[in-house]
Amino acid sequence: MAEKTIKSPYPGTFYRRSSPDADPYVTEGDPVQPGDTVGLVEIMKNFYEVKSEESGVVNGFLVGNEDLVEAGQDIIVLRD
Amino acid sequence: MARSLEVLEGGIQTTVQDYPGRRGMLARGFFPAGPMDHFAFRAANLLVGNPEPAAGLEVTLGGVTLRFDAGATVAVAGAEAEAAVDGERIPLWESRRVAAGSQLRIGVSQGPGFRIYVGISGGIDVPPLFGSRATYTMGALGGFEGRALKAGDRLALGGESGDGTPRRFRPSARPPYSREWEIEATRGPHAAPDFLTEEDMQTLFGRWWSVDRNSNRTGIRLESHLFQWARTTGGIAGGHPSNILDNSYPVGAVNVNGDLPVILGPDGPTAGGFICAATVAHAGFWKIGQLRPVGDRVRFREVTVEEAIALDRELDERLTVASLESV
Repeated sequence: MAEKTIKSPYPGTFYRRSSPDADPYVTEGDPVQPGDTVGLVEIMKNFYEVKSEESGVVNGFLVGNEDLVEAGQDIIVLRD
Repeated sequence: MARSLEVLEGGIQTTVQDYPGRRGMLARGFFPAGPMDHFAFRAANLLVGNPEPAAGLEVTLGGVTLRFDAGATVAVAGAEAEAAVDGERIPLWESRRVAAGSQLRIGVSQGPGFRIYVGISGGIDVPPLFGSRATYTMGALGGFEGRALKAGDRLALGGESGDGTPRRFRPSARPPYSREWEIEATRGPHAAPDFLTEEDMQTLFGRWWSVDRNSNRTGIRLESHLFQWARTTGGIAGGHPSNILDNSYPVGAVNVNGDLPVILGPDGPTAGGFICAATVAHAGFWKIGQLRPVGDRVRFREVTVEEAIALDRELDERLTVASLESV
């Protein structure tokens, strides 16, 4: 069975928070809906929101905060 | 009625550019702007039968959709990416005719390479500023309203001059793309023994440098490195040995700002107070437009000024109709 994942739209540095002092956008066990922001990707001095295209529950992260990610790379695994 | 195209999706940074950009303006504070990868840009223009100064589009990464309101010959060249006309995949480095109403979609590139160029017959007809249609991002000047394109923008196209015949840029004439790039550069103007040690210069030219995520058209940031330096301070210019009294910067300089080397891009600063340890040869400058700022690596290959000139002649010879074949 194919897992549902949330992918990074762009290459860059992945962040789980909107700022160092903020709470993470989502953590394990949080429900997400299509369009929800789950993180940021920084590239060329700009930040872009990573949004879920699916609904589900966050099952885990495949990359860490501030890891480099590629365009289309799976970042979060969702479960129903 | 004037020919035009509409931007349906602008991507992260799509700009109008022309080659060679805004030359002869360094003394007035303008780097030339123009395509960051001049090779792919020029190839795309050649493929659609445009004269060399015609303006085209520089697409950073992809995620762009254009709708043509008039028939046009188009060619996409540069970084590996999925390009499609009305949903049908098209090869890069080839021109084809698109009908009025057609949509060209360029997907997000997974690399190798980072920038994709779109040549369109007739060129993008924005008003020239100081002799060029190139967008200068740092000055927010030129191109289309001095900025990157966004959904809803409508760009006028010039009159067509080519015959619309589909052509392919010969695979043997295309440069190889990679995640590791060797870039030709000359030594100096601020090198050993006055500013850096000979060992520093060997390190600069010997090691692989990772490309930082915050690289853009202004500059390609590499990694911090503790050079030995030939002097302990910048004297009256500042406390750090990378400091010099304000000096003009060459296009493509490897500018060392404290411990951080930065390759100055087409929208870079014309002057400043840091040394320029090396200068990228024009024939290698196109590669900086294809550096993917997520893990690509660079090594500088030292060339003499004479070699740099010879390389540039070879490159110019590859960017002629002799490199085109029929499809």
